[in-house]
Amino acid sequence: MAKKITGPQLILANRLDDGRAVFLTSIGTWSNNAADAAVAQNEAELDTLMTVAQAADLANLVVSVTPVVADTSGGVTAPAHIKFAMQARGPSVRADLGYQVSPNWEQ
Amino acid sequence: MVLINLTGIQPTGFTLLAEGAQPKEGENVAVTVERLLAEDSVFFETAGGIGAVITTDTPYAELDAIADKLAFVVIEFPAFGDGRGFSLAVRLRKDFGFKGEIRAIGPVIPDQALFLLRAGFDTVDVTDERKAAFEAALSRFPGFYQSDFGGQTSIAHARHTAGHTIEGHREAS
Amino acid sequence: MYAYDTYDHAMVNARVAEFRDQVDRRMTGELTEEEFRPLRLMNGLYLQLHAYMLRVAIPYGTLSANQMRKLAHVARKYDKGYGHFTTRQNIQYNWPKLSETPDILQELADVEMHAIQTSGNCIRNVTTDQFAGAVADEVADPRPYAELIRQWSSFHPEFSFLPRKFKIAITGAAEDRAAVKWHDIGLVLKQNEVGEVGFEVLAGGGMGRTPVIAKSMRDFLPISDMLSYLEAMLRVYNEQGRRDNKYKARIKILIDAMGIDEYRRQVDAEWEKIRHVPIDVPDEEVARIKAFFAPPPLPVLADAATEVDELANANFIFKAWLANNTGAHKVPGHVHVTISLKPHGGIPGDATDEQMDLVAELADAYSQSEIRVSHEQNLILPHVAKSDLPALWTKLDQAGLGTPNAGLLTDIIACPGLDYCALANTRSIPIAQTITERFDDIKRLMDIGPLKIKISGGINSCGHHHAGHIGILGVDRRGEENYQLLLGGSGAEDASKAAILGPGFNEVGIVDAVEKVVAVYLGEREGDESFLSAYRRLGPDVFKEAVYGTD
Repeated sequence: MAKKITGPQLILANRLDDGRAVFLTSIGTWSNNAADAAVAQNEAELDTLMTVAQAADLANLVVSVTPVVADTSGGVTAPAHIKFAMQARGPSVRADLGYQVSPNWEQ
Repeated sequence: MVLINLTGIQPTGFTLLAEGAQPKEGENVAVTVERLLAEDSVFFETAGGIGAVITTDTPYAELDAIADKLAFVVIEFPAFGDGRGFSLAVRLRKDFGFKGEIRAIGPVIPDQALFLLRAGFDTVDVTDERKAAFEAALSRFPGFYQSDFGGQTSIAHARHTAGHTIEGHREAS
Repeated sequence: MYAYDTYDHAMVNARVAEFRDQVDRRMTGELTEEEFRPLRLMNGLYLQLHAYMLRVAIPYGTLSANQMRKLAHVARKYDKGYGHFTTRQNIQYNWPKLSETPDILQELADVEMHAIQTSGNCIRNVTTDQFAGAVADEVADPRPYAELIRQWSSFHPEFSFLPRKFKIAITGAAEDRAAVKWHDIGLVLKQNEVGEVGFEVLAGGGMGRTPVIAKSMRDFLPISDMLSYLEAMLRVYNEQGRRDNKYKARIKILIDAMGIDEYRRQVDAEWEKIRHVPIDVPDEEVARIKAFFAPPPLPVLADAATEVDELANANFIFKAWLANNTGAHKVPGHVHVTISLKPHGGIPGDATDEQMDLVAELADAYSQSEIRVSHEQNLILPHVAKSDLPALWTKLDQAGLGTPNAGLLTDIIACPGLDYCALANTRSIPIAQTITERFDDIKRLMDIGPLKIKISGGINSCGHHHAGHIGILGVDRRGEENYQLLLGGSGAEDASKAAILGPGFNEVGIVDAVEKVVAVYLGEREGDESFLSAYRRLGPDVFKEAVYGTD
């Protein structure tokens, strides 16, 4: 049954092994960059994304799969709520850590 | 389901008495504690071994009236995190001197195997796929800091027992 | 300090092997996340916003220099070069990989450390006075009893799946530096009329969304009865504490519902049944553990040290540090030293691997290789000769560890908040940073005097805002961070609950409000009256008026 949504949503999770925040893309991969996130505009699209995300959960790739409201107003997709926005960036008090350095900051 | 034997006791074979049903003469039956308390004489006069099925929210004091007539007790965990089941087993052993089999049923997890043994349980009913993990968990720790109802003395006491070592702890106590 | 024997080593090594097996089963999918979550939590492993977080116990806040070096090594090898010391005398790592946590735990086990029961619905790390064994005002060193409780509570067969987490604190001193009245059980060492040492037992304290100050269970409990009495207290709680609502599952709610007198009656009835069964350890075991905490062999030294006076006269910061960060030791010529982890503008409680290594080196050189962690998120060198203070401070200061603000307004407790924590509603670290920058003047801070600000970014109250002279609680107001101001709390022997002053503020407004509150205090104080005393005399109205205006 499709869950009623009031605006665009993206899927956020944590990778199982290192726990890093990741975002589901439109090709079913998980990206470190919220800007790559697939955005569901309606319940049916969200259902489709959640099916893919939950399969990744069952395959022990990610945990804590959470659909969150997306903010696309600046032309770049990001989670709208401060908590999830924090996950997309990293700790605000450590500018040297997290995706705010670069989506590939640990490589 | 498969029965894990924690203590090496001879497990009781019994049937779970359906609601409203009456035990056959000499039959081993497990009955809810509510029914046992309400129909005390009927059960203890007709059936063979009587066991009480108790849920974790049962106040232990309710068992006082029947504990010495029970052949076995089945403690039903609604969730593995419901630690009241451990205290119930402890109360049965400690307060009522209960010597019969105490069995755990419900979604207990392999990592609790030694906790169950040490709280006074003899057996636990688990799903087939969890059997190996349960058995592995039983030999994981050589000793504990508490004396327990599995017959083991605490490390605190063992430390001051002549000739005692951690290597021989489980066998020695 | 306590040293493991073969039994203790076998125990932690078995725990590491068990956790390695649990992690393997999770990685292969044999365990689902739902099944694994409580198992990892019982070993202090959380999943936070950006990564896993590993909470390692520092039992009763006592660390050796070698253990501190291992904490630095773990930060460097497995994490991002730092750790966070918490209000519960633990250290948290913010970036470990799940698959590497068994290796971290093995490294910790090698130096007699662990993460056992640092989370989960079980008896947590027992906390105590950071100056235990170093100060003259204590009845007895509380740490042997904390170690006895640590052992008794580890893998307890009956109390590992309680209704909710359970925290025990002990103090041996009249001045309560361990906030015992804010714990599920508080133990206060005392002497009775005939000179025997025992405990006053308190129960039912706690923070969270329902702050409660613990009530007295028993005026005097002989030490030899400690474990059987604790066992009776835990048994009654385990059986009757609520399990239907996690916000009502702490012992404070049970005691509130049944009344302290009824709880005491039930505990006493149970205790009578078990106090003569061998739960309490043999006397030889108490003696064995006590021997580990024998006072270090410090020589009695002259109380005056000319090199200290010379530097103090030449350097105001050192003089301020002497006044604020050192305190009298029971052995003449010595002090205990608080190393502030609260640099102005910094993150409260954080230390880098290099800082940890330095503290270890300084502990070896100047403090009998011993270090403490306080619930106020600072590090302590407990046994320092006064004549060593100039050299010690110089090295600390060069490493950014010489901030002379212990006990002052900028010595702020703050939880990690929304910068890290998945349970938080708002950030708390940036508020602490802005306040410490606003008050970055040591003369002004010393004029203000003792003032404890405590900041929580969520209702779990990990930042102890209920016990703050000034407490700050972050709440989510329609997706915006909003900060409530509370005044008048105390975590000390005169424990009190802070009260909300009025409507909340944004992140700038809350700092302005703190400044206004401090200004009222400075204007209204009588003589050397502290902030807390002045607030208690004045009441909230004069502060409310200054913060919110009269209309």
